[in-house]
Amino acid sequence: MTTTTETTPVIPLPARAATALTGLGALTTAASAALPWTWTSDFPGDLTYAGSPAGLQWLALTAGLLTLVLLLATHGTPGLRWAAPTRSHNGVLYAATGALAVSVFSVTAIAVELGGLANLEPGGWILAAGGLLTVLGALGLPLDRRIRVPLRTLDRRLFLLVPAAPLGWFGAHAIPGDQPVAPVMTALAGALALATGAVLLLQLGHLANTWLRLGTIARPLPAPRQLPSWAEVLIIVLAFGLGLFAITFGIDTEYGELFTGYLLLAAFVVPALTRSGLLARLRALTVKHRPVTTGAAFAAAASFPFTQTSDQYTSVATNILIFATVALGLNIVVGLAGLLDLGYVAFLGVGAYAAALVSGSPASPIHVQFPFWAAMLTGAAVSMVFGVLIGAPTLRLRGDYLAIVTLGFGEIFRITMLNLNGTTGPKVTNGSNGIPRIPDLEILGFDLGKTHTVAGIELGRFSNYYLLMLLVTALVVLVFARVGNSRIGRAWVAIREDETAAEAMGINGFRLKLLAFALGACLAGLAGTVQAHVSYTVTPDQYTFAEALPPNSAFLLAAVILGGMGTISGPLAGATLLFLIPKKLEFLSDYQLLAFGAALIILMRVRPEGLIPNRRRQLEFHEAAIPAQPTGDDAALTKAGA
Amino acid sequence: MHDLPQQLANGLILGALYGLVAIGYTMVYGIVQLINFAHGEIVMVGGFGALTAYLALPGGTTLWLALPLMLIAGILVSTLTAVAAERFAYRPLRNAPRLAPLITAIGLSIFLQQLVFSFYPDAKKARVFPKLPGDPFSLGSVTIQRSDLFLIIAAPLCMLALGWFVTRTRSGRAMQATSQDPDTAKLMGIDTDRIIVMAFAIGAAFAAVAAVAYGLRSGQVDFRMGFILGLKAFTAAVLGGIGNIYGAMLGGVALGLAEALATGYIQHLPGMHLFGGGAWKDVWAFVLLILVLLVRPQGLLGERVSDRA
Repeated sequence: MTTTTETTPVIPLPARAATALTGLGALTTAASAALPWTWTSDFPGDLTYAGSPAGLQWLALTAGLLTLVLLLATHGTPGLRWAAPTRSHNGVLYAATGALAVSVFSVTAIAVELGGLANLEPGGWILAAGGLLTVLGALGLPLDRRIRVPLRTLDRRLFLLVPAAPLGWFGAHAIPGDQPVAPVMTALAGALALATGAVLLLQLGHLANTWLRLGTIARPLPAPRQLPSWAEVLIIVLAFGLGLFAITFGIDTEYGELFTGYLLLAAFVVPALTRSGLLARLRALTVKHRPVTTGAAFAAAASFPFTQTSDQYTSVATNILIFATVALGLNIVVGLAGLLDLGYVAFLGVGAYAAALVSGSPASPIHVQFPFWAAMLTGAAVSMVFGVLIGAPTLRLRGDYLAIVTLGFGEIFRITMLNLNGTTGPKVTNGSNGIPRIPDLEILGFDLGKTHTVAGIELGRFSNYYLLMLLVTALVVLVFARVGNSRIGRAWVAIREDETAAEAMGINGFRLKLLAFALGACLAGLAGTVQAHVSYTVTPDQYTFAEALPPNSAFLLAAVILGGMGTISGPLAGATLLFLIPKKLEFLSDYQLLAFGAALIILMRVRPEGLIPNRRRQLEFHEAAIPAQPTGDDAALTKAGA
Repeated sequence: MHDLPQQLANGLILGALYGLVAIGYTMVYGIVQLINFAHGEIVMVGGFGALTAYLALPGGTTLWLALPLMLIAGILVSTLTAVAAERFAYRPLRNAPRLAPLITAIGLSIFLQQLVFSFYPDAKKARVFPKLPGDPFSLGSVTIQRSDLFLIIAAPLCMLALGWFVTRTRSGRAMQATSQDPDTAKLMGIDTDRIIVMAFAIGAAFAAVAAVAYGLRSGQVDFRMGFILGLKAFTAAVLGGIGNIYGAMLGGVALGLAEALATGYIQHLPGMHLFGGGAWKDVWAFVLLILVLLVRPQGLLGERVSDRA
């Protein structure tokens, strides 16, 4: 077998010089966090103090220190070897790029918002220099690279855009502004410019790829040192504590710049830790201690409200949980059974409306107040009935029909709720005003609407609902895990892969698909019952196909696909990201849906299996990319055949 | 029931509109088995293309002169959009699992809507579309809006042209062959890529005609108009039997008639007096789809096809 990979630096530097340069850069980046970056407190986060890092400076500190730790670990420094079990320098390069990204972003943000580079204090320059040095040094380290990466060129015809863009600009300016077509011309010129930029960027990416030739060498994970089992458990707990801290940091970011920096850093830190082998080692531990892992994850999530001083971010977290739970329910339908449901949010709506109607709200025409368990069961049951009603006629047919029928159902649900207002239909839902003043829940004498003090920490209304919602999420995770690994779950996967073959194996396709559909609807309804109480009011407009803010059917589907179909952590991560990005980056708000649509198209082309892919799906999507691995048996077989 | 002829006429006209859009769904589906969710947005883009042409003409141009130019501009814009979408979004995914292109289509639909919403001048609200001037004229007890004349003339013409194209021309027969069996068609020397592009382009051209008709009828175009129109048209395509171009037209007419009759008469049924009128017409169209799928899943004119693995 010919080797296709090598371990060489991109920039030819003496090994020691490269290491020193990387270390120096990382230290500089980290140290710059202690210096003022700008002179005025106008920049969000107030980066003017010496010795007390704030906002973006924390990110620079993290990136610098992480790079340093990984660098030392790959060089086998005693005490740090755990951080990079595979000893691959690619992890260092990723961390270094993260440092560069944070520094470039910070400097640019300061210069743009305050009007010019003159607003940088020396600390800002040191930060920029540190980021650059780190990456230069890291490129000189012996990296895992592919030997040959042919240069890909885009379709030559696309480069016609390059002369077309100035022509468009000229055209837009040649037309006087009072002509009615002038704005159209401007839009056209803008579109041309954007397209040209995209083409050039893409080609630049191909060039860079050919130059860097980064690849992965399958390095065996060295056998871990034998630790007593309490130590392994402690490591898991620590890891989840760190994870909780990282997620809390993301949710609590107060301004868009910090959140962008956070996302940038996260986008590089995760691959860095993957390349270094640390995540693989951690995964091995979690697989070994699965109950502890589940417990730790749950405990970490449950302790979130205790880290908060106000209800501001717990309300965000509660909504994330609702969104994530519904996404996980959708993942049963889409990810496991392969049924495309485009109106899933309607089932959330059914549950919410059912719960609102029996909640004792003065606006509800049914003047009853069910206890919460009964309301939950009602919501879930009504939702499930609707699921069966929609599913039964359509699931007998080819999968594509289901997509359109569910899309229709989502729309019809909204229209019906609007119409049941007393003038265009019976008076049930108050039409567009919705059902307001849904009373707070009281479970076993515990009023969720009031602030309670637990262990000296005040838990406000949203904290209570957060904890309640967490129980629902845990239930959905449990259902997903148990059903997914059962005979039923495997039958679903079989149907998803090939329905004809599955039926030939004795699976009743229709009944199992209906089961998946009804179960998905039921879980969404369950989440809806809590949502109704959390948001006080249910209105039809909360349940649309595509809106700028989640949850809606399009975003739910995107959360599942972005995260990874058929996994538990995928939709949870996808939902968190999709909820936080629009929430934190308000400057995007005008173009949010535009970017969302474009992102869906690009994602399907580039990484259709999602961020956290199901192993099997990943193989399926990248069949061509996986090199055939001839094993000894194969070779023997070929010889025998010859 | 004295206004039955009027309701039937309304239903027929509406149905012709649905049918024109449904052609796009059915042609693409018949050849690549893809529900092109973005087709509704292709309609919308065509409408805005036509509106742009109207705005670019000097004021006071008579609509009889402007209409052909608007039609050409609309067809140009929507066809280009559809062909670009096929080339850059759908073609790379032709061998991907079925869910991938469907999601691309949803993304494309949102993208096109927002593109118009964000960048077309004043498209945040509905834009006024010209109407054919003059009083409505009446045939017996039936009144027909003058703007609907366009649709009454254009829809049958389009259908005749399409029927002629599919059955009589070389490309049309190549299209039929591709939809029956793409692999064999390729072996027979048919450039299936070209046929697929052609299916997208023809669907888009019909969509632009529908968009102009829609604009003339309702006097406005807005960036959301494609969503419900597309949903209805897809329903019509399924009703008629997806993959069958005559079925699309028949399904459109059936859906239009059902909608008009439901709007007009449901409230006269005992116990249903609150469920009639325009507010519920979408609901009834949808109920009709479910009923038809229950009784005749392959649609009115469709043939039962076995799954192609």
